[in-house]
Amino acid sequence: MSTQHSKAAKEFLKNQKYAKWHDATFWAVRTKRDNMAYGLDEWEQLREKASAIKRHTITHLDEYLDLFATKAEENGCIVHWAKDAKEFNEIVYDILKQHNVKKMVKSKSMLTEECEMNPYLEAHGIEVVETDLGERIIQLKGQKPSHIVMPAIHLNHDDVGELFEEKLGSEKGNHDPTYLTYVARLSLRNEFLTADAGMTGGNFGIAETGDIVVCTNEGNADMSTSCPKLHIAAIGLEKIIPNYDCLAVFQRMLCRAGTGQPTTTFTSHFRKARPTANPMHIVLVDNGRSEWIGNPEHWESLKCIRCGSCMNTCPVYRRSGGYSYSYFIPGPIGINLGMLRDTQQHSGNVSACTLCLSCQTVCPVKVNLGDQIYQWRQQLDDFGTANPQKKLMCKGMDMIFGSEGIYNLGTSMAHWANIIPSPLMNCGLNPWAEGHKMMEFPKKPFHTLFEELKD
Amino acid sequence: MASKEDILKRYRANVREKFDMPDLSDIKAITYPNPLAQFIKMTESVGGHVVEVKEGQDVNQLVKELYPEAKEIASNLPEITIATRNPDTIESARDLNGTDVGIIRGKFGVAENACVWIPQTMKEKAVCFISENLVILLPKSAIVNNMHEAYKRIEFDKEYDGYGTFISGPSKTADIAQVLVMGAQAARSATILLMPD
Repeated sequence: MSTQHSKAAKEFLKNQKYAKWHDATFWAVRTKRDNMAYGLDEWEQLREKASAIKRHTITHLDEYLDLFATKAEENGCIVHWAKDAKEFNEIVYDILKQHNVKKMVKSKSMLTEECEMNPYLEAHGIEVVETDLGERIIQLKGQKPSHIVMPAIHLNHDDVGELFEEKLGSEKGNHDPTYLTYVARLSLRNEFLTADAGMTGGNFGIAETGDIVVCTNEGNADMSTSCPKLHIAAIGLEKIIPNYDCLAVFQRMLCRAGTGQPTTTFTSHFRKARPTANPMHIVLVDNGRSEWIGNPEHWESLKCIRCGSCMNTCPVYRRSGGYSYSYFIPGPIGINLGMLRDTQQHSGNVSACTLCLSCQTVCPVKVNLGDQIYQWRQQLDDFGTANPQKKLMCKGMDMIFGSEGIYNLGTSMAHWANIIPSPLMNCGLNPWAEGHKMMEFPKKPFHTLFEELKD
Repeated sequence: MASKEDILKRYRANVREKFDMPDLSDIKAITYPNPLAQFIKMTESVGGHVVEVKEGQDVNQLVKELYPEAKEIASNLPEITIATRNPDTIESARDLNGTDVGIIRGKFGVAENACVWIPQTMKEKAVCFISENLVILLPKSAIVNNMHEAYKRIEFDKEYDGYGTFISGPSKTADIAQVLVMGAQAARSATILLMPD
């Protein structure tokens, strides 16, 4: 356990007004999700099925990947396999170079964040334009997403208004979200029309048909692929599912769980390039996934469909924001994926959990997120990432709680601590007193009270 | 292809317990006593409009009444005679920019979420997204209850067999301070014309 997350959260909590808004906003999204879930009698049955489909699929991925690739190639697509982020970036750059691409528009993809593709391509002279409004905002701002579905949630309309005044020449002082969305629409329209290539991620890959399925509310994946002559789709291995019957289960749950809508506006199936474009490229990316499947406690994180519902409900995420986590995906799923990626770098995040298990109660595919976080905590000492101060405290507690004599002596004497003057107790030297006042110890411990009551 | 073999080999070496595919035939999915009424209700709730076309009513006249200001109308549907642009014959998809109204055909609607299945049936699918306003002609009798039924039914076009999409209402976003705004990157309004059988 470490204090890395709580230290980072202090920054977030400096602006209390915003912190309250953030908490309330995500609670409202969680409430919308509940209304959707309660509106379907079969919701819990769907969760069971979704979990079982994913368990089956990710433990038979070799067969489904092979089928998917075969189908996609039959459809006329060119399928690439990337073992890691470096190879992925090189493959994408190669394709773009072959087609002499100067500018690429792209729809939201957490995979390209994971592989840090944009900076790589930009270093090689390719302009990359994000077209999801939230992603575009943070791209213009030079920031990273703070939520996987609502990437610019850490900015308010004044922040965006000032950004657009500077970058897109919007009217001074007009920070109305409808107006700002329109300004972005006009600017992005120009990008769609002048880009040489369009890239999409993929919510699902369908093994039986070779379809890449992309769900958006804005229609930006469809716009990104409607004018440019080249479409590259990038998906992680675990996004492959068997067939349309399975897709129906996930399509019904993804948006209901994530944003509380009955569906995304667009659920688009890309099977091959449009008749006037070059063949479509699909890049299947491993980047650790084929290792993670072997982790006995944590392989089920691969079931995740990236709806974001675990972070929306998480009391720690809601009150600390996406930037308090060290991994680029925050919240419960990010804690677990970060640990699979690099235990040394991301151990700090496992402290960002109260073990309330709300995350795994809402997760549409039943990833045991909180249980996994608990498991990670048990392993910190093995990783050498346990906090020495807390380790010492645990040893002390082990001694006190392990011996009846010491425990009783301790509780009977604890009230003497009450007479220590407050400035000495409630100071920076006592980590217990940080953020709250030191408690008063009772004169009579519970055991004594209980004995007296019995008489 | 070295990476393909590497990846699959590593995966096969690492995968542990294998799980069976669940039976999906027993999903008790929601159905509606009147799927059409539910479809209309859902379309309105996601920000779309619905107009029932009467037997013998001229769709062209109706579109003109709905969008009196429209100058550029794009469609490849044979019954649309007011089109000024045709997505089958334009030189480039870019030429569809500036379309005020795009008119396309939907195959069926889904009552639970207002999705309409739209397989690509034109050379440039841009018309479905680039138009400021989208009009979808949908047979009134073609409404299914839920996505399970929908996915049993979807088909791609024989000629343009590379793309199809479900559209539910106009393009939207809440990416600025969680305020819902219609018309992000694609159509700013969506009207479903329910066609008589």
